[in-house]
Amino acid sequence: MITRRNTLKSAALGTVSAIALFMGSTLAAQAANEKLKIGFVGVTSGPAAAWGTSNVRSMQTLAAWYNETGGVKIGDKTYDIEIVTFDDQKDPKRAVEGMEKMAQEGIHYVVGPNVDDGAAAVRPVAEKNNIIYFPYAFPKELYTPPASNAILGMIANYQSGPAIYKYLKENKGVKTVAFIAANESDPLSQRDGGVAAAKALGLEVVADKDTYQNDTRDFTPVLTPIVGLNPDLLVLSGVAPANAPLLIRSARELGYEGLISTETAQDAKVIEEGAGELANGFISVGGASTPEIASDRMKEFVDRYTKMFGEYNDESNTKVYALDYILETMKANPAAIDNIDEFKKTIDTFSAPNPYVKGDSKLSYVGTTSFGQKRQISVPMVVNEYKDGAFQTLFVGSVD
Amino acid sequence: MEQVIANGLYLGAQYALIALGLTLIFGLMNVLNFAHGQMYVLGGFITYAIYGQLGLPFPVAVVASGISLAVIGGLMERYLFRTVIRRSHREESTMLLAAATAFFFDAVILLIFGEKQRGVPKIVKGVFNDFGVIMPYDRIVVAVLAALMILGFILFMKYSRTGRAMRALAQDRVAAQLMGIKVDRYTMIGFALGAMLAGVVGGLLVSITGVNSGIGGPISVKAFLMIMIGGAGVVGGAIAGGFILGMMESVGLTVLREYGDVTYLVIFAALMIFLAIRPNGLMGKPWG
Amino acid sequence: MNRTLRLLGVAAFLVAVFVVVPLLISVTGRKDVYYTLTSVALLSIASAGVWLTFYIGRINMGQGAFALMGAYVTAVLVNHYGVAFWWTLPAAGLFCAVASLLIGLPILRLRGVYFAMVSLVLTEVTRLLALALPVTEGAKGITNIPLPGAISLFGLTIVPDFATLENPRIAFYYLAATLMVLCFAGMYRLVHSRIGHICMSLQQNEELASSIGVNIVHLRLIAFAISSFLGGISGATFAAVTQSVYPSSFTVTDSVNFMLNCFLGGLGYVFGPMLGTLTLYFGWNLLFQTGEFQLLIYSSLMIILMLVLPNGLLSLGEGRRKG
Repeated sequence: MITRRNTLKSAALGTVSAIALFMGSTLAAQAANEKLKIGFVGVTSGPAAAWGTSNVRSMQTLAAWYNETGGVKIGDKTYDIEIVTFDDQKDPKRAVEGMEKMAQEGIHYVVGPNVDDGAAAVRPVAEKNNIIYFPYAFPKELYTPPASNAILGMIANYQSGPAIYKYLKENKGVKTVAFIAANESDPLSQRDGGVAAAKALGLEVVADKDTYQNDTRDFTPVLTPIVGLNPDLLVLSGVAPANAPLLIRSARELGYEGLISTETAQDAKVIEEGAGELANGFISVGGASTPEIASDRMKEFVDRYTKMFGEYNDESNTKVYALDYILETMKANPAAIDNIDEFKKTIDTFSAPNPYVKGDSKLSYVGTTSFGQKRQISVPMVVNEYKDGAFQTLFVGSVD
Repeated sequence: MEQVIANGLYLGAQYALIALGLTLIFGLMNVLNFAHGQMYVLGGFITYAIYGQLGLPFPVAVVASGISLAVIGGLMERYLFRTVIRRSHREESTMLLAAATAFFFDAVILLIFGEKQRGVPKIVKGVFNDFGVIMPYDRIVVAVLAALMILGFILFMKYSRTGRAMRALAQDRVAAQLMGIKVDRYTMIGFALGAMLAGVVGGLLVSITGVNSGIGGPISVKAFLMIMIGGAGVVGGAIAGGFILGMMESVGLTVLREYGDVTYLVIFAALMIFLAIRPNGLMGKPWG
Repeated sequence: MNRTLRLLGVAAFLVAVFVVVPLLISVTGRKDVYYTLTSVALLSIASAGVWLTFYIGRINMGQGAFALMGAYVTAVLVNHYGVAFWWTLPAAGLFCAVASLLIGLPILRLRGVYFAMVSLVLTEVTRLLALALPVTEGAKGITNIPLPGAISLFGLTIVPDFATLENPRIAFYYLAATLMVLCFAGMYRLVHSRIGHICMSLQQNEELASSIGVNIVHLRLIAFAISSFLGGISGATFAAVTQSVYPSSFTVTDSVNFMLNCFLGGLGYVFGPMLGTLTLYFGWNLLFQTGEFQLLIYSSLMIILMLVLPNGLLSLGEGRRKG
């Protein structure tokens, strides 16, 4: 027994020292420039791991790229970017913990959290500690005054939904819509927003109450009654990337022939593996992804991401932006590097070329219509249609 | 309505197979294996790698899933659970160990296979559409396979030497030992068999619902529900529980859909009431 | 252990919690630890409740349900009815206690894994209720909960208004630590009282206990109500700390974690849940720099701990004393 305990102890010691060595060596490798820490608090494990992982990896890819090419010049200093990540396991209590950690590290700019409850829970911490954070959550009160520290990192469903429904109504003759959502906060809120938007456009909503447990693996029972209603459009509100292909496949196999759409970003590979050709025609919202509009820089980003992590995730098409917005705004006003009041001042006038899209598209802050102040980053609202393993651009919209 | 019943039956067959492995382990060792869902996921990913990535035939992949999980299960019993059961004062302590192994599998699977949902090419194409029932052929194949495996498992437990030894163990450990049954050996075989079942179901279902690294926990919870409905530790109970839950979901989702968000609320509340009336499930042995 | 030693131990613990820890934090400047320790204190209160149900021989995986109820009671009372936080705290506890009496009456007859599962389902039912009921504002959750106000007695301010403090985290730490100390003092008293001894006998053999004239139904209900009271208090305070509550604030994962905390600390020790919570929660945080390997290292350490100390961390001291 004693020997056994000793073996375990030495094994543990060995592991710890190996980790220490490993971390020490990575730290030593980059010592030239001063470090600029940017935080991430979000979910990178469990069923929703895909959301946060695509965030973190986008940030890490960009940071490695910048550091490799000599760092980022802000004012008259050059910085190496260091990404500090915290996995909140999709638990709001942990998200608060993560935000406290970021404050402790002296970080003023944090990307995340990925869900509504986490974004609401970290708000007091962020405001107390002068942190600007970029949630991927849609509740309007996070961005509407008196709140002022949160900046929406993507396009909200109440912005993209109406545009998509309008397009489909005018171009594909959609008249009836059915909604289906997981019985959790984010999807249900998005569904309610979608239903209101559809009604405002004069579409007939034939189903607005159908829900499923997020851990459902087989969606045939959930979809059987909806497919029976035979709507022109089936909206998967706030659907998790893992569930989208399963829902599509079940609906099609049940003989559903109308359109299917969602307002969240999806990954083409996941859809191809999960639903194959059954998913052709599936409509979702992406970033600067499709070959028609992606710039060379975007292509290089995808290459670097793929090299670093083995496989690209199309959700990163949207998530590539947040870090660049932070850095570009700092470049525009170097005082913002540790002073978020300066950052907030710069938001109103900030404008820079968008490096990820061909043509003369701009990076700027938007959201005045939805929130009454500029608390949203402007990303191209690219509405995609899935076709044989890739997304094709249906139309590109914008948010003001 | 025919469609709803067909959905329920299909779902039930798949649930019952998931629950079998869990109930076997529980019956033999009184261990509530929190890692059951993770074993299922691992099985799914092994089939994904062999059939989806390497392109080997589907049956080969499923068999490989089963064998790998059987080996993992056997090792887990031998080196983890046996030690802890022997040394702890209260056998519930194994729940922490089971949860820890569940986290461990979660971490390993996430590191190796990534965070994305994965799927494989369909094993059979086409959809059956007649008698008011729509059912893709691959689902029918999987349901039939599941039913055959359940049948095979029952026969194995009833007539084979190993099966009889395990049933004796589940009924009365001490008596079984006195009768000369090698308790350690059969416990290990039982655990391996339970793990193998999880792996095989995972492999089979990856062809229909795909797999992703985060679903292990929820699958475990669902499997617990099934064995509670039927009665923990009893093979018949697991099968009944699986079919009842499958039918409840299928019928409930259709009948209650107008009430929206409360569908699952009603299903779960009904479950609580049922268990309050029948504290040992349908056919379970009392356990305290 | 004799009386003086025990008193000394208690005094040392109190000094550590209320003096040494804040001192250390101000010296090292690690202000984030306040929130960590606040969480540990609050979660260990909920875990203590779970421990008490273990004490009567029930595996409780329903504490998340009561924590969520408690959080919502506070949020609704404060935000919709303008009640002061300090009144809602006991109200949340009592609400959960009453709810647990109603729920416990039918389900406490269940044993072993059956009780475990039903309580787990209860957690999910509560989450779905929170999504469906109008009073909880459904999916949108309740946000912007104001910080706790001042308490004054005869014009004397005993507790300052949290909103006026420079760092409310410190105030929350003291609040949570006080609640935790009260909770465990109460638990200690309970376990070493006559009722505690009877509970112990329940854990071993219910039939025997009832045959010697113990009203086990009552006793079980009381223990379950106390347990849920603690869950409610814990959840309510969390709502005040995060200033928001969502249906997903406490989920099945939390319910399972509360139970794991008890196992890790040791089911045979009153202070087990406290140590277990500290280890599991703090352990996860300490590993945050390991990035993607965090869960792997965390779970490996848990397995190793379980192999070395299957009866909980506190059994370490026992082994030494014996040796």
